Amino acid sequence: MAFLKGSGDVEENNLSREVLVMSEKPAEKTTSTKATETVKKVRAIVRGLYQNAREAKEKGQFTAYTMTACQYEEILNAMDIVPVWTENYAGLTAAKRDAERFVLKAEAEGYSNVICGYVRVGLGFDALRKEMGKTPENAPDGGMVMPDLLLGCGSACDPRFKWYQALGRYMNVPTYSFDVIWPPVDADLDEVRNYYIRYQREQLQGLVDFLERQTKKKLSHDRLWEAISRSNATWRKWWEVDQLRKAIPSPMPTEDHYNAMVPGFYCCGTQLAVDFYEELYNEVKQRVDNNIGVVPEEKYRLLFGGGLPPWHTMWIFNYFETLGAVFVMENAYRIYDPVEVPSHVKDPLDYLAWRTFLRWTQRYDMAKKRSGIATVERLLEYIEDYRIDGVVTHATKSCRATTVGQIDWLHRLNEYTNIPSMQLISDIIDVRDYSEAQWKAQIDAFVEAVEAHKRRTAR
Amino acid sequence: MMTTELKRTGLAGVEELYQRRGQRARELSEQGAKVIGYFCCYVPVEFFTALEMLPYRIQGGVNEPITEADAYLETIMCPFIRSAFDLALKNRYDFLDGLVVPHTCDTVQRIYDIWKYYRKPAYSHFINVPHMLQPSSYEFFKQELLTFRKSLEEFAGRKMTDEALTKAVRLHNENRALVRQLYDLRKPDPPLTSGVEILKTMVTGMGLPVLEYNELLRSVIREIRERGGGPGKKPARILIYGSVIDDISFIQLIEDSGANVVMDDLSTGLRGFWHDVEPTPDPLDGIVNRYLDKIYCPRTYRPQAETQEKDLDNRFGYVYKSAADFQVNGVILYVIRFCDTYELDAPDFKSYFQKKGFPVLYLEDDYSAGTLGQLKTRVQAFIEMIA
Repeated sequence: MAFLKGSGDVEENNLSREVLVMSEKPAEKTTSTKATETVKKVRAIVRGLYQNAREAKEKGQFTAYTMTACQYEEILNAMDIVPVWTENYAGLTAAKRDAERFVLKAEAEGYSNVICGYVRVGLGFDALRKEMGKTPENAPDGGMVMPDLLLGCGSACDPRFKWYQALGRYMNVPTYSFDVIWPPVDADLDEVRNYYIRYQREQLQGLVDFLERQTKKKLSHDRLWEAISRSNATWRKWWEVDQLRKAIPSPMPTEDHYNAMVPGFYCCGTQLAVDFYEELYNEVKQRVDNNIGVVPEEKYRLLFGGGLPPWHTMWIFNYFETLGAVFVMENAYRIYDPVEVPSHVKDPLDYLAWRTFLRWTQRYDMAKKRSGIATVERLLEYIEDYRIDGVVTHATKSCRATTVGQIDWLHRLNEYTNIPSMQLISDIIDVRDYSEAQWKAQIDAFVEAVEAHKRRTAR
Repeated sequence: MMTTELKRTGLAGVEELYQRRGQRARELSEQGAKVIGYFCCYVPVEFFTALEMLPYRIQGGVNEPITEADAYLETIMCPFIRSAFDLALKNRYDFLDGLVVPHTCDTVQRIYDIWKYYRKPAYSHFINVPHMLQPSSYEFFKQELLTFRKSLEEFAGRKMTDEALTKAVRLHNENRALVRQLYDLRKPDPPLTSGVEILKTMVTGMGLPVLEYNELLRSVIREIRERGGGPGKKPARILIYGSVIDDISFIQLIEDSGANVVMDDLSTGLRGFWHDVEPTPDPLDGIVNRYLDKIYCPRTYRPQAETQEKDLDNRFGYVYKSAADFQVNGVILYVIRFCDTYELDAPDFKSYFQKKGFPVLYLEDDYSAGTLGQLKTRVQAFIEMIA
């Protein structure tokens, strides 16, 4: 399939939700329509991220290409290093259906068309910038600023350190990568905890040493504690929002989550993020208190069970809603719940190392007793707590890390629950891997299966 | 140490063992030996030898259509891993008592839980291998190997003494030296042996106790030296770089197209044999250094050098050196599709070698004999170009 052209923009969420639900989607619209007002502010926050980075660069502040979940957000914040979230930028270009030129450029440079879509956008963007000697014409949100540093990590997937290594072709920028590592589920945590945390602490210290050398500034532990405190408050409030989402009807759907995640991941450690979730909490609470749902009649409650979302076609969540099916919870860009670091931990880097370990080993105890996989435990927990009628996963052609294992998860889920599940296939970025007709047919059949299951179990 | 008599020697022995993969492991298993399957070249095989277990490197099957694994594994992942798991589901690995998986890449990491859940081996262990090479990475890896050692000892029902480990290190170093000797037989032009014979020997060795493998290697080297001849002079001398090739069909294709494959840096080839484990007072220290730092797979991040040129030298310079030593005139970059770390390195690798004056053919393959026809035309055109 050729690239579909469209003018979708995440700002286009002011359309009346009811109009959208009741009628055919506008021909050109590819982004989703949101239910909550607070998340509509995210578009401006995203634009601000790239604008702030450009302004920071002009003022001589350090900017860095960064990845989500590297556990260094607070360190960057405390050292006044302005992050440029390269994965987010790739998602933005996909949402605006403007990823094609970057993806094709990366492929023309010799990068395989099965490499992570985020990476292909990033490599294509920087290859074009080098070739043209300036930011690519009309790059979404003004483009990514030329960074002073590249900060990769081994958390979650291999491309997260290979991408910035590959950027050596297009820029000569000091690069640092480090491990974010956690044990397998079957490890004896009491046996391995100390050396895993020690290693994480030393890896973070290595990063700090690198940043101090580059910026010639010392990290202030006081400032780091302040950033940690704000980021913990952020994640805590975000978690509380999600507790509210257990309500029936659902007050906030998954498509809103994929905007709401921006402050949590990309503004972590800032007051803006704390304030955002406070406001979101108040709005969602108000919706719960007043029984305001996402659609007029919520027939089916679905769980987005994993895989990264299809940034190129986020309106698909609204398509489910036209069938009365609402995604009430999700398992992507929802990496960890708040954790309690022991009070004896007094050093902020120790704290971050502990927190990392605790975040990634959540639900290990349950997994050992039952399914063997922490993710499956999370899904089972959500299925029960959110009264889920069906699970949908998204296999993304270019993302091994979030796709490999999905079929296995669904098998294991079937041992403990009999609700229907379905795997949709496309990509995070590359719309060539997406077939709208096929998806709609699959979705229609799935929703019928969910309906049939509900009828059977109601008897 | 596991002592067994070797009934198969020389190239005929290799041929028999290559055709009947797993046969020797089955025989030993029937005699009571514990056979442990493992992936990649990051698992310290010395541990198994020290405990008189047989390490068996898990292979796929390019000639076997994947029919069972589709029900468990996505199609957008490494087809080698899919193939290996498919064979497991078809009970081809029922002689394995255990499974050890190192965290080499995302897909290998994922197969650990899946294999364990659906095949339920009596023993299983996962080793976290750092991607980084900072000083703390070595200390962490040592701790991981201590945890692995303890776990394996529990399964074996006895302790692994430092003395036994030191002896195992010596035997495996001897093995590595013999493999390098075997590889050196292709330095002359024409080479004394073919790429096909080498690969058969390497694959065979994946399922033999080290003592037997060493004996087999000696007999093969002796036979090749004594027989003279070999594949004969051909217009092109090729080096292959990539991950897993555990079937001769692709090498055969190249050698049938007018080239001799005279060198490789493959995960199933010389990759795991370049460097010995250095003897150290605590034998584990030498093992840590060798397995973490001396295996040059793209899954390991080599810290950035001050210039791009030096960075590429750090990552690929050893391959260039061997290409020059073995006087190759063309390089084939063989990548199994969906292997992110190789695919992200591919343009760097290609341009590095091209700048050094070596033509490079970059092939992305599906790890299936069925796709060989598509590769044949490109290989032939490449050889014609460089010959």
